Amino acid sequence: MWSYTLRRLLAAIPTLLAVISVCYFLLHATPGGPFDSERQVSAAVLANLQAKYHLDLPVWQQYLLYLKSLLKGDLGASFRYADWSVNDLVAQAFPVSLTIGGISMVLSIVIGVGLGIVAALRQNSVVDYAVMFVGNIGSAFPSFVLGPVLILVFALSFGWLPAGGWNGFQLRYMVLPVALLTFINVSTIGRMMRGSLIEVMHSNFIRTARAKGLPMRVVVLRHALRPALLPVVSVIGPLAISSITSALVTETVFSLPGLGKLIVNGAANRDYTLVLGLVVLITVLAVTLNLLVDLAYAWLDPKIRY
Amino acid sequence: MTKLLNSLATLAALTALSLTAMATSQAATIPAGVVLHPTQTLVRNNGSEPETLDPALAESVGANNITRDLFEGVTGVNSVGATVPGVAESWKQTAPDTWVFKLRPTAKWSNGDMVTADDFVFGIRRFLDPKTASTYASTYGPFLSNGADVVKGVKPPSTIGVRAIDKFTLEVKTAGSVSFLPALMSNSNLGPVHKASLEKFGKDWTKPGNLVSNGAYMLKEWQVNSRVVLDKNPKYWDAANVQLTRVNYLPIEDGNADVKLYEAGDNEWVYQLPPGTYEKLKIQFPKEIRNAPMLGLRYYSYQTLNPVFKDVRVRKALSMVIDRDILSKRVTADGQVPAYSLIVAGVEGADPTPYDWASWPMDKRVAEAKKLLEQAGVKPGTKFSFTYNTSEYHKKMAVFAASEWKTKLGLNIETESVEFKVLLKKRHDGDYQMARNGWVADYNDASTFLTLVACDSDQNDTKYCDRKAQELINQGYQTVDPVKRKILLTQASRQIMEGYPIIPLLQYSLPRLVKSYVGGYSLENAQDRFRSKDLYIIKH
Repeated sequence: MWSYTLRRLLAAIPTLLAVISVCYFLLHATPGGPFDSERQVSAAVLANLQAKYHLDLPVWQQYLLYLKSLLKGDLGASFRYADWSVNDLVAQAFPVSLTIGGISMVLSIVIGVGLGIVAALRQNSVVDYAVMFVGNIGSAFPSFVLGPVLILVFALSFGWLPAGGWNGFQLRYMVLPVALLTFINVSTIGRMMRGSLIEVMHSNFIRTARAKGLPMRVVVLRHALRPALLPVVSVIGPLAISSITSALVTETVFSLPGLGKLIVNGAANRDYTLVLGLVVLITVLAVTLNLLVDLAYAWLDPKIRY
Repeated sequence: MTKLLNSLATLAALTALSLTAMATSQAATIPAGVVLHPTQTLVRNNGSEPETLDPALAESVGANNITRDLFEGVTGVNSVGATVPGVAESWKQTAPDTWVFKLRPTAKWSNGDMVTADDFVFGIRRFLDPKTASTYASTYGPFLSNGADVVKGVKPPSTIGVRAIDKFTLEVKTAGSVSFLPALMSNSNLGPVHKASLEKFGKDWTKPGNLVSNGAYMLKEWQVNSRVVLDKNPKYWDAANVQLTRVNYLPIEDGNADVKLYEAGDNEWVYQLPPGTYEKLKIQFPKEIRNAPMLGLRYYSYQTLNPVFKDVRVRKALSMVIDRDILSKRVTADGQVPAYSLIVAGVEGADPTPYDWASWPMDKRVAEAKKLLEQAGVKPGTKFSFTYNTSEYHKKMAVFAASEWKTKLGLNIETESVEFKVLLKKRHDGDYQMARNGWVADYNDASTFLTLVACDSDQNDTKYCDRKAQELINQGYQTVDPVKRKILLTQASRQIMEGYPIIPLLQYSLPRLVKSYVGGYSLENAQDRFRSKDLYIIKH
């Protein structure tokens, strides 16, 4: 398994390079540049700005310079936020996104898997319908609708929680955004867990286990749960990535200083280095989470061996 | 004799222009009977994350709101938009192109150092030095002697017309006569910089703990996309009259999130209401809604070199048929005022020059427009393209304008929505037929609007040039007498607008919510520049 992990990590290097390269050249090919503004700058000022960010060099030279800095761990200076380096910006935003996205993912897995199991075992019962109803709401209503509803109820009507913002890592500011992301993710995980477990429960090996007289608890926990978790684990990777790095709507609705807002503003401002820095971060996260998912497969399915 | 009369006239004009202000307290004025709240803190949404807190590099409104609190120029602009003393306790125009500012010896930096004339010289030279690469250098630089050449990199920054006569006397030489220089100098771009801290901390000099400021506030905390917290500067020369002890600037861009925070009590100042909510919120918060015209113009630009829009008759026809009243009352519906002139109401240095047809009934305007199109050989069904940047607000306006041109003139308009950066590039490159545009005054003088249509101006996206009007502008800029100057610039504006390079549509206003207990807010602040030192919290 260790050699498999090492191979996967090594294979991630060309993936990362490919992603950076494609993004780099796409960004530079996009019309409009970082220094296009309502107020035209003088040619001398523009020349200095371009020299500062190496935009006066041919694109391939800029690309190589960027890769060289990247190898040193330097994501470059932000084009838009003159006082900050991209490393500074990522260092400020990432903990916020990781906290909100991470907590919501843990809660989503626990609650989603739990509800999925209950719904599957009580198929077509009131409990099942209730779980599916909640799940469908989470899927059908977009976060830009659910978010303001949460604010309306818990911040404006009851006044229990702030309507948004971020203050250090104070719990009260995290509750609503975590709740929103969790609710949305639970609906996906719960429905998937339910469907998967129902299918597994109809398998021959489960029928055999039950015929042997094993109690239902043992049948589910020891025999059915692992195979039923396989498709759930497949979606956890992408869900975690989107919850941590791309929760733009949640960040907008709750005014959170996370990665999603940075990347969207970065793209709109043609802040090449900021966008690329975030792309690097997201790619590394995606590779890592996908690796963890693949390793989880091996644990869940004895047939899979690396 | 003529020479003597000219000299006397110049002297008289200079006497009339000489502004001398006394060293009085300039901070928040608390009306009699108002009881202050024991906690003087304000949470104020700023609309966006500041791109920098370096006064030389500040470009956006949001960044300038904060740098204005941190750095004080020789002058300032108070809540009602009047130019008042800042670090300078008085100033005088000693020649048509020379101003002398007497700095107050009590002015100090937040670390206790004295604010001297050299700090201003350093700050201004640094601002205009092309190496600093400030995007605003081209806007303010040309007003100072040699400033334009310095910005272009032709002359060194040491040649700019600013010098310290002594520790507390700053002399500013202008390029020609700049009658509004005291107001211009209130911009923090032209303010002082604490050289020692900049040299010590390098690019990190604007970070909390490093930033040394001379304004009423100092930087306490800055978390990107979360907040900028300013605390009252105890070393500020007028600290005794500064009421707010802490100002918390939020960078919320989403108008709905902004209003929700306001309703929940987590924000006391909505930056700008989201589109379509003004009428509803006006009823919901009658005492807290604030809306007044700003020195800004929403307009559409023609690319006047484009074969279709080369003909002034076509440009005039399209401008005539847009019903600004409906646009203002029904489409944008947020208190913006119809505009028929390049110069908007409230701007100093020139009068608005509305078109004669603005008061005509719409039927007459349409008939005249049809006649003009016919004369120009433009037939119904002709296609035009209109480009705007993606935004619900701009889309509403574009759809309305396209429908006006379609229903009244039978023209087919292809609207194209693009990203803001793409629109900017298209406009600057002249790669469009008609495009959305807008301008908010950088300073209160007609020249800021005239740059939009002046010959050879970088800001002129229309490519239009009226040499005769340009001559009037040049004459106006050289005229010391404000009355004569105003006449010349008004004539120039009228002359240019008769060439229809743009379609003026609406004068900006900024509808927002501010808690009723926030004192010092005024609807007379047409540049929307509110220094926190002028504000206070009333007991509630």
